[in-house]
Amino acid sequence: MNKTAFGGLFLIVLFGAVLLRGPGLGLRPMHHDEANQAVKFGLLLEKGEYRYDPADHHGPALYYLTLPIAWVAGKSTLASLEETTLRFLPVLFGVGIILLLLIFVKDMGRPAVLVAGLCASLSPAFSYYSRFYIQEMIFVFFCLGFIGSIWRYLKRPGPGWAIAWGLFVGLMYATKETSVIIFAAVAGALVLTRFTQKKRSGGPAAPARMRPAHLILALAAAVVMAALFFSSFFSNPKGIVDSVAAFQAYLAKGGAAGFHAHPWWYYLGLLTHVSSGGLVWSEALVLALACFGLLSAALKRDRLTVFLSFYAILALTAFSLIPYKTPWNLLPFYAGFILLAGAGAAFVFERVRQRYLKIPIGLLLVLGFAHLGWQSYQANFRYHSDPRNPYVYAQTSPDYLRLVRRVDAVAALHPDHERLLIKVVCGPYETWPLPWSLRRYERVGYWTEAPAADGFEDAPIVIASQEIAEKIGPLLADKFQAEFYGLRPDVLLTLYIRNDLWDRFIKNKY
Amino acid sequence: MTRKAIIYAIASVFTILIGLNTLALCQAQDTGKEELKLQLPKPMFIGTPRNIKTANLEVITGKPRGPFFAPKGTKLVSLKKPVLSSDMQPVIGELNFVTDGEKSGEDGYFVELGPGKQWVQIDLGAETVLNAILIWHYHSQARVYRDVVVQVANDKDFVTGVTTVFNNDHDNTTGLGIGKDKEYIETNEGRLVDPKGVKARYIRLCSNGNTSNDMNHYVEVEVFGTPGK
Repeated sequence: MNKTAFGGLFLIVLFGAVLLRGPGLGLRPMHHDEANQAVKFGLLLEKGEYRYDPADHHGPALYYLTLPIAWVAGKSTLASLEETTLRFLPVLFGVGIILLLLIFVKDMGRPAVLVAGLCASLSPAFSYYSRFYIQEMIFVFFCLGFIGSIWRYLKRPGPGWAIAWGLFVGLMYATKETSVIIFAAVAGALVLTRFTQKKRSGGPAAPARMRPAHLILALAAAVVMAALFFSSFFSNPKGIVDSVAAFQAYLAKGGAAGFHAHPWWYYLGLLTHVSSGGLVWSEALVLALACFGLLSAALKRDRLTVFLSFYAILALTAFSLIPYKTPWNLLPFYAGFILLAGAGAAFVFERVRQRYLKIPIGLLLVLGFAHLGWQSYQANFRYHSDPRNPYVYAQTSPDYLRLVRRVDAVAALHPDHERLLIKVVCGPYETWPLPWSLRRYERVGYWTEAPAADGFEDAPIVIASQEIAEKIGPLLADKFQAEFYGLRPDVLLTLYIRNDLWDRFIKNKY
Repeated sequence: MTRKAIIYAIASVFTILIGLNTLALCQAQDTGKEELKLQLPKPMFIGTPRNIKTANLEVITGKPRGPFFAPKGTKLVSLKKPVLSSDMQPVIGELNFVTDGEKSGEDGYFVELGPGKQWVQIDLGAETVLNAILIWHYHSQARVYRDVVVQVANDKDFVTGVTTVFNNDHDNTTGLGIGKDKEYIETNEGRLVDPKGVKARYIRLCSNGNTSNDMNHYVEVEVFGTPGK
């Protein structure tokens, strides 16, 4: 494949990625994790306040990297923020991942990188989480950056690539605590690659080939980068210590998974075949091509493919063995399989020399990728909040948006408008994403128990979780109009609107 | 004396209950009605959903629906009848699933219409006296379909002579008027609507997403009537 053809096709792949990631970013209601991150970011944006929390919320990179986007969009307060502004960050990194694959062109070849780019671009998992305001997509970007730059460094050791992989290490650490799993998987893969390939000449080697000066340079870059973020740019030095202390909390979380406990084959199951409510999902095409990549590693013994095979398998094993699982955690190891899929496709076309066989294989691949793209479209634009979508996880139901719209419509008729009093009485699992959705209201109180709210008659709007509604419902029955809304499947919220306001709303409507 | 009084009281209550039941049956027979035999699919979830005490949601009793009496000669008139929809190209299922007689809650038996407000319309082929409409949106999960409105008419475009026989759109989101019926949680019993003998050829059922997602589903709709009247 010549440079021009590759360039043209790669641009199409990139354009496809933009089309699946960019439009309709406000379609899906905010997931409670997204809302939580958004409100935390709002504090940083409004007041410049950020303190790393070793118990929750992951690293600081997400918040600081969102700042420039908010500034460019002219947003300076939490109330002024929109879903689109926040989700633009993962979109940038989701598209950036495909660009970053170019780092592997020299070693893998253009066809392999093109197919890997196509897999990443059309993958429902990658496109779906590229529209999700959580750490995952920027984390995967930094992981790929680390893998690519350390490989380039090992091929041709020099201070530039040493600093590059050091910076990526620092950024990974500042993004998510699971970075240590990736560090271990990459280190393990390098050692295994060297161990299994040592008789061969040429190509990169294991960490032993690293020059001490370069290693110091890389580590310094990593430490400086991580320290900058964790210390909130030196305003909270304790954050650096907390970043280490956090592992205690995350180790406990990983073991006692509770709701997030899933069997070891959970991730493989998600990627190979999920069938629910008349819908069937599968990214088996990518995994099948990755199997050819593994075959290529075994037969050709190309060192990068061998390294990627070890990395993908080690990372998959590590993530699968941890009882705590969420679907987005599959992305860091799936990125390895996507690179292997590129190598696998190139291997197939290299080995199959007969033209009459190449054409049907090519056609099958085109059909397979078309199906992958179709699934991505369905996952992002039609079933973005539907539990039948395998990547939808404890997602806020679209019905919840009706509640938000109702509050907005009713508040617009109240003389206090956005200063009207709203009382929210919900358990901790039912409160989010309300603080995000009600961010424009200045007087919103949150309680977890009804007595703590000190009566409800002063509030024109009351929102209660199902359990609380059972208790307060009879008390409010005569004075409030009650409506219920789905927050998540099987989780309901009851909205109480004081009769005077409800009557005004109905009168105004007709 | 007290014991005797209790026995008399219990006996009286039973006598009254039996009397009322007999009276109801006699009335049904007097008015030429008989119990409509409904074939229900097997339940897809065990137990009753949590009772949500909200003004516009029907209280869940956990007990089976009582018998429904319809005029003698009432029979299923919608089986295999043509179906139109606001979404003529459903992603899941076919529109003819609505009247194909299959009521199972399992995958492969429902049609899924697009998000937001959608309708399906059954053409009975001729004006019919309508005595019961039984609707199953989706009964493998406890969920509530929003703004359910059932209308009947002889005009296929539903412009003239439209009669609304069920409406739980309490704030007129659909623009079809404020409904006084309550919202309800889907179960294998389906929703039985009494059209009270209104005559019509077309039945249109509207909905506006549900509490789990914003799609609209139909497993089956059964229309019972007295044909040729």
